[in-house]
Amino acid sequence: MYWKYVLRRLLQSILTYVVIIFIYSALFNTVMEATLRSQINEQLQGEMMSFAKSGLSAEELKEHFDNRKEHLYEIYHLNDPIPSRIFWRAIDTLTLNFGNASNIRSATGSSDVMEIIVEKIPNTLLLFLTAAVIDVIVGIVLGLKKAQKPNKRMDRWTSILTMVVYGLPTWWLGMVMIMLFSYVIPIFPSGGVHNVPPPEGGLAYFLDMLYHLALPVLVLVIVGFWGRAYLIRNIVLGTLQEDFIMSARARGLSERRVLFGHTLRTAAPPIVTMALMSLLASISGGLIYEGIFSWPGMGNLYWIAVQQNDIPVLMGNLALTTALYLMGLVVLDLIYGLLDPRIKVGGKA
Amino acid sequence: MKTSIAKKTSTGTNGKRFKGQLAALWNEFKRFKYGMVGLALFMIFVLIVIFEPLIIPFKETGTRWRDITYWQDNPVNAAPAWTNWFSAKDKTPQETLKATNIVKQEEPSADMTFIDAEIHYNYKYDDPPTDMAFRATVMGDVSFMLSLVRPDGIEIPLFDTYTSSSTPNDFRVSFNSDALDNIFEFATQHEDPTASFIYNKSTLNAMNVLFSKAQYGILDNPEPLKGEYVFKITAATIGSGDVSNLRIEVAGKVFGILGTDNAKRDLWSGIICGTKWALLIGLSTSLISVFIGVLYGVVSAYFGGVVDMIMMRIFEIVNSMPLLPIIIVMSAIFKPNLWTMIILMCLFFWTGSVRTVRSMGLQIKEETYIEAARALNASNGRIIFKHMLPQLIPYSFASMALSVPGAILYESTISLLGLGDATIVTWGQILQGASSGGAVLHGLWWWVVPPGVCMALMGMTFAFIGFAMDTILNPKLRTR
Repeated sequence: MYWKYVLRRLLQSILTYVVIIFIYSALFNTVMEATLRSQINEQLQGEMMSFAKSGLSAEELKEHFDNRKEHLYEIYHLNDPIPSRIFWRAIDTLTLNFGNASNIRSATGSSDVMEIIVEKIPNTLLLFLTAAVIDVIVGIVLGLKKAQKPNKRMDRWTSILTMVVYGLPTWWLGMVMIMLFSYVIPIFPSGGVHNVPPPEGGLAYFLDMLYHLALPVLVLVIVGFWGRAYLIRNIVLGTLQEDFIMSARARGLSERRVLFGHTLRTAAPPIVTMALMSLLASISGGLIYEGIFSWPGMGNLYWIAVQQNDIPVLMGNLALTTALYLMGLVVLDLIYGLLDPRIKVGGKA
Repeated sequence: MKTSIAKKTSTGTNGKRFKGQLAALWNEFKRFKYGMVGLALFMIFVLIVIFEPLIIPFKETGTRWRDITYWQDNPVNAAPAWTNWFSAKDKTPQETLKATNIVKQEEPSADMTFIDAEIHYNYKYDDPPTDMAFRATVMGDVSFMLSLVRPDGIEIPLFDTYTSSSTPNDFRVSFNSDALDNIFEFATQHEDPTASFIYNKSTLNAMNVLFSKAQYGILDNPEPLKGEYVFKITAATIGSGDVSNLRIEVAGKVFGILGTDNAKRDLWSGIICGTKWALLIGLSTSLISVFIGVLYGVVSAYFGGVVDMIMMRIFEIVNSMPLLPIIIVMSAIFKPNLWTMIILMCLFFWTGSVRTVRSMGLQIKEETYIEAARALNASNGRIIFKHMLPQLIPYSFASMALSVPGAILYESTISLLGLGDATIVTWGQILQGASSGGAVLHGLWWWVVPPGVCMALMGMTFAFIGFAMDTILNPKLRTR
């Protein structure tokens, strides 16, 4: 039964993705086409240069290039009515055909937007997944501790701290930490994934990466886990009000068994989804954070693309970020389905 | 007859219930210490906004933040003045010196007026200023001559200069550029002649020389000369010319409450000015988006069926878009100003409260008084606005308070990328300047830390208020 649920959820999210891409394409159609046109013009200018020596007269040349332009416009559907153009832009995006970047180049020097973005994805995943794992573990441990003795001293001051960091911009803390730990007390590198040049040898290379990863992950965790802990505390406390907990207590079970045996199993699905959900939101909100640490990921790419006004990269990056985000949501729901039997069985209800 | 009575009692109890609900909420709220702290902080922020003109030394900060001429008399990257308390060497703070002993002498035969004035400066610091600027409001043809009498009796001619303007005009002379020749000459007269050849005018620190003892080492290892310095000004105007507002601006090494940035701007003024924008952006975005979200959730719950299904599909699609990336891309392409930015954020923020409101709405819908209202043939709009929405007001307040920090955060993140509204000054824009101006690299903490602390404080304010209300509304969360 579970696979049916998986399939349904997958199909649904693919459909959502298609709709979102169409919305993007309708929103940004004008600017996407403007870049496309200017890129076609540039290409034609290049061809014109090589044609100049062929001995054709100016008029023949002009005619040739007008035809060529028409042809290219035809290929990219630039002469169609607007709905059709929006449709074809969306199809381009959906088939991962993002075109060429205007300024930005990939590490290998390619201007293919897809290549530029794909080489950034592992870095982003590395940074945020590492932070996420630590964050969730610390959050769950602290959240349970808080729920064990609600409104006692520990719960109180950690809740106050949760509120204190509530509106704290992660990237600002990053700036302050870099200033403190890279310049005033230079114990951490100020940014990047590796030393320049990166050290030789597998282990040294790996350790160097960990060393560069330490500060950004630390900052993300410092800001992140409070909220996770508070959420988990609330879910656990909510579950503790249920009747079956009362009956478990009435049977004389120890508080530990009530908490870990009965409460945690019931509270697990919402805990996992809420924790991962807020994590996903914080990642989507924290992407820019990479720029502060010059961490070469997708967030940093937004920063560069905005500064260089590179529309194709911006669009491609947005489409891929959305895809990754949706994938995250799907994974969440699948985990939820695994943990909560009601979901996978009740597929029809 | 019967229906009218029923209607009256129904609205009457409804209104009372609503008022009673708010009063009860307030009574509960008062018991939360951190909630009250949040409210107090909020009042402080509001007071700052109201009394902004009284608090900031630079009154036109809001409109001339990017106008370099407005800030030109300040030092670059100066630390806050109070850092002097913690350092052994006293650094010269920013000061405006007004002219005294102004004597006007008319010379009718030559159609000229001579003005003599003195500016006294009590120098008692160890680290001299970065620059000084002589300023005056000038009209007509005017020539100035400035000289300095030092505490040790030596008189240094600084510069003479001439200006002409047909309208009242701000006149400015920087000592570092215009008095350099004379100061250099003074220095070479007193420095060890065998050592002075290694120095040249281009590396001369004019202020160091001016405020140091006239002895060997004045260039090499200057010792501060403390005491009363007197600047003597002689101005001569021809015809109807006029000179007023004579003063010297001392651009110190330390400045004001929060120092300056690399464009000589007073950060204190900037941060105070940013408060109102942060409040405006945060409050209006959360107000609009929560209102839309609550209405959306209630309507969806009330109608149910196909309407509910379609509305939930739309909600899910908007909810599946990654918020920050889409806002960044939209800002990069549409270049929003303050108001369009608020609208842009509302477009995506409203989803926050929909799910909870819908489930609450589904419960309220089943209440008997809704059924009664429907039996009385009340319109859908009336049921939604009169009977269902008031029930959700406490929840709306809580979720409004909790979504304010998010809006401020998003605005500042967009500003950090340089996509903010360039006609105002926000905390995010100050931090953008810090990030691009190398503040982190050079350890200019007074530029990096305060804006972020303000954002954190404001976030905290609304978190305190919101969390307190949240706890009241979820009684389950108090004990186990």
